[in-house]
Amino acid sequence: MDIFGSFALVLALIAAVYAVGAGIAAIRTRNPLLTKSARNAGMSVFILVSMAVVSLEYLFFTNNFSMAYVAEHSNRDLPIFYKFAALWAGQEGSLLFWSWLLSIYAFLALFLNRRKHPELMPYVGVVLATVQTFFLVLNNFVATPFQILGHASAGGALTVVAQADGHGLNPLLQYPEMVIHPPMLYLGYTGFTVPFAFAMAALLGRYPGEKWIHITRRWTMVAWTFQSVGILLGAHWAYAVLGWGGYWAWDPVENASFLPWITGTAFLHSVMMQEKRGMLKVWNVWLVFVTFMLCILGTLLTRSGVVSSVHAFAQSSIGTWFTCFLAFILVACVLAFWKNRDYLRSDNQLDSLVSRESSFLFNNLVLLAGCFAVLWGTLFPVISEWVEGTKISVGAPFFNKVTIPIALFLLFLTGVGPLLAWRKTSYDSLKRNFAWPMAGGIAAGVIALVLGLRYIYPLICLIMSVFVTLTIAAEFWRGASVISARSGTNIIASAGQLVMRNTRRYGGYIVHFAIVVIFIGISGQAFNSDIQQEMAVGSRMNIGPYTIVCQNFDEVKNPNYDSERATLEILLDGKSLMMLYPERRFFLASQVTETMVAIQSTPLRDLYVVYAGRSPETNRPVIHAYLNPLVKCIWFGGLILVLGTALALIPSTQPVMVLRGATEASPAPGSPLPQSVGVAHGDD
Amino acid sequence: MAMIEPVAEPIALLARMNRSVMLSTLVLNLLVVPLALAQQSDRAKALSMRMMCVCSCNQVLGVCNHVGCTYSHDMLKEIDTRVARSESDDLIVQNFVQEYGAAVLLLPAAKGFNIWMWLMPIIAVIGGIVVVRFALVHWRKNAVEVAPSRVSADLIARARREMGPDE
Repeated sequence: MDIFGSFALVLALIAAVYAVGAGIAAIRTRNPLLTKSARNAGMSVFILVSMAVVSLEYLFFTNNFSMAYVAEHSNRDLPIFYKFAALWAGQEGSLLFWSWLLSIYAFLALFLNRRKHPELMPYVGVVLATVQTFFLVLNNFVATPFQILGHASAGGALTVVAQADGHGLNPLLQYPEMVIHPPMLYLGYTGFTVPFAFAMAALLGRYPGEKWIHITRRWTMVAWTFQSVGILLGAHWAYAVLGWGGYWAWDPVENASFLPWITGTAFLHSVMMQEKRGMLKVWNVWLVFVTFMLCILGTLLTRSGVVSSVHAFAQSSIGTWFTCFLAFILVACVLAFWKNRDYLRSDNQLDSLVSRESSFLFNNLVLLAGCFAVLWGTLFPVISEWVEGTKISVGAPFFNKVTIPIALFLLFLTGVGPLLAWRKTSYDSLKRNFAWPMAGGIAAGVIALVLGLRYIYPLICLIMSVFVTLTIAAEFWRGASVISARSGTNIIASAGQLVMRNTRRYGGYIVHFAIVVIFIGISGQAFNSDIQQEMAVGSRMNIGPYTIVCQNFDEVKNPNYDSERATLEILLDGKSLMMLYPERRFFLASQVTETMVAIQSTPLRDLYVVYAGRSPETNRPVIHAYLNPLVKCIWFGGLILVLGTALALIPSTQPVMVLRGATEASPAPGSPLPQSVGVAHGDD
Repeated sequence: MAMIEPVAEPIALLARMNRSVMLSTLVLNLLVVPLALAQQSDRAKALSMRMMCVCSCNQVLGVCNHVGCTYSHDMLKEIDTRVARSESDDLIVQNFVQEYGAAVLLLPAAKGFNIWMWLMPIIAVIGGIVVVRFALVHWRKNAVEVAPSRVSADLIARARREMGPDE
């Protein structure tokens, strides 16, 4: 099966290289057969890489420990669930997984558009196949997952050595979310390749009109959703597994996943300027380019060991390959842009400084400032070491100090932007739309102050959250009221109709609300508290309204691990609430110990208990308890975000037309519509 | 591509280990795993939150529970000892920097080249505002010269009819 997998990977590389060559030839000769052949080669990569993935999974499930990758990342007693996830546990497998996801995206992009955009798709195919070629080169020659464990005898013959058992999966990965989190994140990373391919194709092919930007937006939304889910699942994994009581440590690898998400978010907003007004074309193309480059940079940071990270399980010298690829993409983007920059001239100009356009510009400015701050903080230790020769650390305080004000301003814009009209917003309209939400926000702030809230950032966050929520609610109310008055249906049904008539706009509002909920959850961090104590059976520990009573310490054994476990009774206001069982597991195959956190989660707060081990001085068990308010809001906000994005991806039942300002007189019937009349499906 | 690699150290031994040996290993492992100190003074805790663990786990010293970490326990204990000796915060931090290097600080001292760590985001924001303002003013100025006309209802109807399917 290993030979089969290796062979499939070689064929996939050949197919990808052919797709690039044939695609370029097809663009030059405009030969339809060659175009079809290049497309088919591009799509066949998916089938071939799938074969390689299936063969590697087969080797995992059959415990073939003669394969280095299987021996390194699995063992006989590893639950089946995790044998499946072992595919992406190490460098080689995760790169294969990356290639596979990329091939799925490429297949879908090529297949779904096989009869559309004949001028654009050959370029898209070439760009996708070029990226695939890079990853397949890595799969075949740099980090092959099909390496056999063996030794060469004196005569040169290979003696395969099958080990009795494997080293097992990294215990940190033996958690349900690790089966979902990496695929989601990879779907995000790889997904941004498709918008990149379309943007590059439109630029290289000087594709007329704005159609490509609609296609790019949809693919970006898909990738962005996966990236969002991946980031949130990663945060939840860190929270539930790493046992330090938090969910985001501004670790370089966390930051790396956050950067393309930020630029992707900026693009999803600024793209509306191009769709509605034909503006910001250069900016949008570069946002797509930069998002893709940040995905590659993120991969470089994750795998090269350039920066110190707790995600250190996949470090190698592969960084040189990614650095070269990143440089190649940058040069390609600059050249493509420079050669075709006249194609990106904006159609329209700004009519008023108080308009939706201005708010989008500021939104993009704030997002990009946040992106730069995170990138700068992440790379600064490396830069400082180059300049000064001294290794330094840049920890969470830097990121918090820089990004929190930016994030709060962004939250403010989240409320302001959608209520401003395109082109121009009158003073009356401003007053009508903002007076009550702003009053509501300020009232909430005053109440919180009276109740004793003295932290400045949570206070601002509360005011902004109420303001944004009220603006969103007012938008729903206004629209639903109009429909209700016209159709006679009740307000709830009318709101449903309203949403379905313009899924993009109202899906977007729901996503904005999700961001509000997530911000509320994050602001709870200001009120975190913790206590650490040595405990014997019968000992008590108080934190917030909870009392933790130690009932027992015991040992639990199963084929995969042995563990020490504490049995803790949780009392709330003196009454027994539940039992928690924090553990410390010793994984037999990998000989590694890990904590298993126990969490009592409510919408208001999490009681987070860690069995921290035994004190070296007294040999008594140590329990570390944290009280983390509002954390659940973050996960709940994530769910709302997914729902909102999914809704925004559904076509509206009634397309909404937006007309860009026409400067020409109305054309005669039968003559072509002027370029300046733009039609969009759904509003923002 | 199937490639040949020298055989790795056999690990089958592990599978043959009996439960009692495993349990002893577990207990031994749990005993030797360094832990955060059970009871730290507030000052020691605050100091530990200003420093990084130096084992490359990239975690703040005060919350480092990186299993198998050979640094955090000793570092926390050293902070406790120095706090108990009534050493000033600055002296403790200075000693840690001498012992473990500047990377032990959660944030580098704001001097020399490291000032740029704080300056660059501010410069970027100011630069961004200037660029946005320039763009707004430029676009606004041009807009005065080209006043958009109204789009007729006929044109709207035609655009709706000719609108292609969405992607």
